[in-house]
Parts: sequence; C-alpha cells; structure tokens
Amino acid sequence: MIRRLLPLIIFFALMGFLAQSLYESETELPSPLIGKPIPEFKLRNLITEEFVTNDQIVGNISLINVWATWCVGCEIEHEFLVELSQDRNVNLPIIGLNWKDDDQLAKLWLKQLGDPYMLVLKDPEGKTAIDFGVYGAPETFLIDSNGIIHFKHIGPLDREIYEQDILPLIGELN
Amino acid sequence: MIKKTLAFVFILLCSSNIQANDLNSDDQIRYQSMIEEVRCLVCQNQSVAESNAELAKDLRREIKLQIQDGKTDSEIKTYLLQRYGEFILYEPAFSQKTMFLWFSPIILVLMFFGWFKKIGN
Repeated sequence: MIRRLLPLIIFFALMGFLAQSLYESETELPSPLIGKPIPEFKLRNLITEEFVTNDQIVGNISLINVWATWCVGCEIEHEFLVELSQDRNVNLPIIGLNWKDDDQLAKLWLKQLGDPYMLVLKDPEGKTAIDFGVYGAPETFLIDSNGIIHFKHIGPLDREIYEQDILPLIGELN
Repeated sequence: MIKKTLAFVFILLCSSNIQANDLNSDDQIRYQSMIEEVRCLVCQNQSVAESNAELAKDLRREIKLQIQDGKTDSEIKTYLLQRYGEFILYEPAFSQKTMFLWFSPIILVLMFFGWFKKIGN
C-alpha cells in the first residue's frame, strides 16, 4: 500500500516545496559579506569633495546606507532615516553611499528632504557598490566599531525592521 | 564631397567600434561566455549579457577590465562570489552546500531505475 502511495507522496511533497518558493520573497539574497570587514575604498565626500577611505569611517557602530535620487525606495525610507538621525536617544551615525547619482540632484535631495547622514560618499561608477555586493538600492548595512558588517537589509528601512533586526544586534555589539 | 563626408563618418564609426571592443578575439570569447554565466541580480531571470540594468552594465565593465588585467576566469568568478554569493553564477560551484544539487539527477535516475525494475517484475 505504502509502496503504491509513495510516488504520490513524493509528488505532493515536491508540489509543496514549489508552492512555498512561489510565495516566499526570493528577491532578498543572503550576503556573503556578513561577518566580514567593509571593503576598501577611496571615495569623494559629496559635499566637501575630499577623499575618504574605508579606515576613516570606521570607529563607531554605524549604518551604511546605499541610496540614490533615482531610487524610489530611497524616498520612502528617507523620512525614517531623518527621524533616526534626529532622535537624541539613538547614537547611530548613518554614512550615505550615493550610488551612481548626479551630484547636483543628490545635494538638492538632501536640502529638500533633510540630511540624516554624518557624511555622504559618492560612488558615480558603482565600483564600491559592487564591492559591497549591492544590487538594489536602498540597502543598509550595520557595521561595528571595527568595521565588521553584521547585518544587511535590502529595501526601504523602517521602524519595524530597525526595532526587530537592528536594535537587538546593536545591544549585542555594545 | 558627400561621398568623402560619408566615408569619413564611416571610418569614424568603425574606429569608435574598435575602441569599444578593445579585447582581442580570444578575450572577447572569454568575455562573452563569462557574462552569459553571470546572473543579473536586479532582473533575476536575465544574465548580465542580456540585461540593460545599470548594475549589469557595471558588472560587464568590471569583468572586461579584469580580463584586460589578465585575471583568470576563476579569479573573476571568485571576485563575484565574494561579493554577491552563489546566486550570481548560473552554475553553482561544487561545494558541500550544493553537493545534493549536483548529485540529485543521478540519485533521481537511480531511483526511477529501481522503481521501473520493480514494476517490470
């Protein structure tokens, strides 16, 4: 009996797996960079035009946020980033990585929507973004005071994700 | 005059074409096969060769530069894997994690073989 039913059972198990993968979001991929230091880079500061290297931004637990003015999701999360940067109970510097953007548009954006960033680095060619494994802005990385990446979020950041995923990690790191 | 102008424009077009494809023919073949193996993560069902996404353009440029730098195929693949993980290559590397994937066709064939044999009996 069981032997007869076995192909049927296998069939339904297979259908189950296929259905599951149909409904779960598969756009978010695990990053191989978790647990590794941030990549080396030398990029210009959007505002001051000075060169900044990866060593210079390391020292605090902080967020690295990849954004661009052409990115729809970035506009959605921007309000929350501003809120986070203005919250006096939160000591979490946000470093912006302006990805393949136009300088003037980027500056205008910060002027109009508010500037939550400690500093903004610009990556007009997208080379550093590749080193960060970026494939869909906005992306946000949590790094510790040694520059090790502990968490990556793809898509707009909001309070829920911040409180659920980022805040507990910061607690562990402190 | 018109002929001369046309000839000039033609030469100009050709020369810009050469500049755009400054890989030698062997490297061009390597480049082409490499970008067909790399998945465009923005539009996950296209390869980097097919996609017009900005990221795909950047990855094509990066792969081309690395070929020009004399990097081997496996060095370039390692470069991509370290940044984007297994999913970026259409053909997953053989590792403990993907072992089942690689052996599953053989296992399935053996299973069916056993099954049909039983039915035959």
